[in-house]
Amino acid sequence: MNKFAVLQFYGLLRREVLEHRNLFVGAPSVLALLILVATAWVATQIDQSQLAEGLEFVSMLFDGLSPFDMAPWIIPLAIPFYLTLYVCSVIYLINTLYQDRKEMSVLFWQSMPVSNLQTVLSKIVAIVFVAPVFYVLIMFAMYLIGMIWLTILGISNEVDLVGIGWLFLAAIVSLVLIYISAVVTSLWLLPSIGWLLLFSAFAKKTPLLWAGGVFILAGFFEDFIFGTQYLANWVASRTSDPNQYLILEFQKVFERVFNYDMFFGIMVGSILIVGAVFMRRFTD
Amino acid sequence: MSHIVEAKSLRKNYGNFTALDGVDLTIPRGAISGLIGPNGAGKTTTLKALIGLCDVEGELSVAGRDPRIARHKLMEDVCFIADVGILPKWLKVSQVIDYVEAVHPKFDRKKAEKFLSTTDIPANKRIKELSKGMVTQLHLALVMAIEVQLLVLDEPTIGLDIIYRKEFYDRLLNDFYDGNRTIIISTHQVEEIETLLSHLVFINKGKIVLDSLMSDLPDIYAEVLVDADRVVQADALQPIYVRELLGKKSYTFESVPREQLEFLGELHTPSVADLFVAKLKEEKHE
Amino acid sequence: MKDLILRNRYTLLLATLAVYMGVLVAEGMVTGREARIIEYENPYFDFNLNEFEEYRERRNEDEDEDDGISVRFEDTGDV
Repeated sequence: MNKFAVLQFYGLLRREVLEHRNLFVGAPSVLALLILVATAWVATQIDQSQLAEGLEFVSMLFDGLSPFDMAPWIIPLAIPFYLTLYVCSVIYLINTLYQDRKEMSVLFWQSMPVSNLQTVLSKIVAIVFVAPVFYVLIMFAMYLIGMIWLTILGISNEVDLVGIGWLFLAAIVSLVLIYISAVVTSLWLLPSIGWLLLFSAFAKKTPLLWAGGVFILAGFFEDFIFGTQYLANWVASRTSDPNQYLILEFQKVFERVFNYDMFFGIMVGSILIVGAVFMRRFTD
Repeated sequence: MSHIVEAKSLRKNYGNFTALDGVDLTIPRGAISGLIGPNGAGKTTTLKALIGLCDVEGELSVAGRDPRIARHKLMEDVCFIADVGILPKWLKVSQVIDYVEAVHPKFDRKKAEKFLSTTDIPANKRIKELSKGMVTQLHLALVMAIEVQLLVLDEPTIGLDIIYRKEFYDRLLNDFYDGNRTIIISTHQVEEIETLLSHLVFINKGKIVLDSLMSDLPDIYAEVLVDADRVVQADALQPIYVRELLGKKSYTFESVPREQLEFLGELHTPSVADLFVAKLKEEKHE
Repeated sequence: MKDLILRNRYTLLLATLAVYMGVLVAEGMVTGREARIIEYENPYFDFNLNEFEEYRERRNEDEDEDDGISVRFEDTGDV
């Protein structure tokens, strides 16, 4: 891979972030702000001494635990961000190959020496690897503000805050795990990513309706013609277990990535992605 | 290879509508070629086919490549400006320059900035805040900073006021065209570009009606203001088009030697606009 | 073959979906995945001719039973 190809891909990624900054940066920032404001408001409703006691309790609880042990307890705090990332990802994927055809700017993008494959790959990389970076950074900023506030609170109430330091380290560890979880989950859901991209490229109008409608129809079609429900079964098996979405320990990462179901899913998702790449030819 | 575009039997259907009906086209290198036709004639479809934005049947070679197979490679040597504003509206001016610099190997940022410095376009504005004329200026500035072999322009000045239009063609000729690069312009505003052209293509209803170097036109076409007493002889020579002009009749002839026409009256080469009308009307009678 | 698949967006979509479904169903059969996860209870859903015959016979039997009951009522006379 030569230097120009790398710079070119970086330029494509930059385009994706700029074009969808509401989804990549705006949404998690608003969420972080809401959480901080809500927490601050709740704190003002509670008696100060109770707050100080609570802090001391937490500090003692976590004293002596390593950040790696504490991290799984902090990860659930990220669930609102996780949900936001999923909703934003669906919005992103279903619009990204549709919007520029609607606005005619597709003629500009395709007059540049960028292949359809590079275009589609850049969008996949943007949502799988780049979007979670922004979410994690914003969460880090939120945790930082939270820690500073707790520290001030602790100092003003003369609470011993050694545990708070470890808590902060645990928060950082949790953010790394969250980033890895997000990437692994996205890879696990590559067939869904492919499905949304395919219909984003295909539809002349209402791409979400096409994506959802055809999915339901495909399930009924299989049942009606063959009497089987392999599609519905497979999708259900891949989406219904909550454990598939969060990785709580570093030791689990390897087995979550290197297994048959993951590879099969990536292969099947690639079929849909290839369809989306070819579908890009039809700009009318 | 002397022709930058070689197209044979291009066909394209949109449902029941035939946009291209066997288009044969050759455009020489270094030409400024005008693709002229009425609305719906197939100009845009032809141009989009040349840059691979439209799948067509037939043989097609542009700058030595088939646009349907290697579009993104072809785009290193070809640039396209369309009639509609196709620059993405949400990008800032500086961001679109950054983007082209990142993805185009033959883009010279300094040149683009130099061209832009002669305009009123601010670097921080989003493209949706620019007027149509400024958007075209910006697009042209970007394109002129790329070392392309071929520039394809689909009605680039439509909807622009006269100052922007004049400036567009001035820049195109003075700053961009160097005798080696080829320009293909489609338009239905014939008068505006006829003095620029070195090659001429007429298209109507998906078919090529004329494909000629401007320098060859006087040898093929003649327009004669026929004296009243010579009208019968003029009719006998089978004109392709006749019209009333200032009380006399103006006859247009194709492939009739000038010696045979000189006695009929005042003779000259038809303007592109008049020739265009003549060929269109000829089609109607056939 | 390629020309047929790439004729227009609809043929491409169908081809992509056909390959996708084909691979999934084949994998399901090979790995012994359960073939059904939802059992439909609606008798009208699994429509075939034999069941229709049975259904019609069953309905006729029910009708006869009803007639039997009404006959018995008449026998009892005034109430």
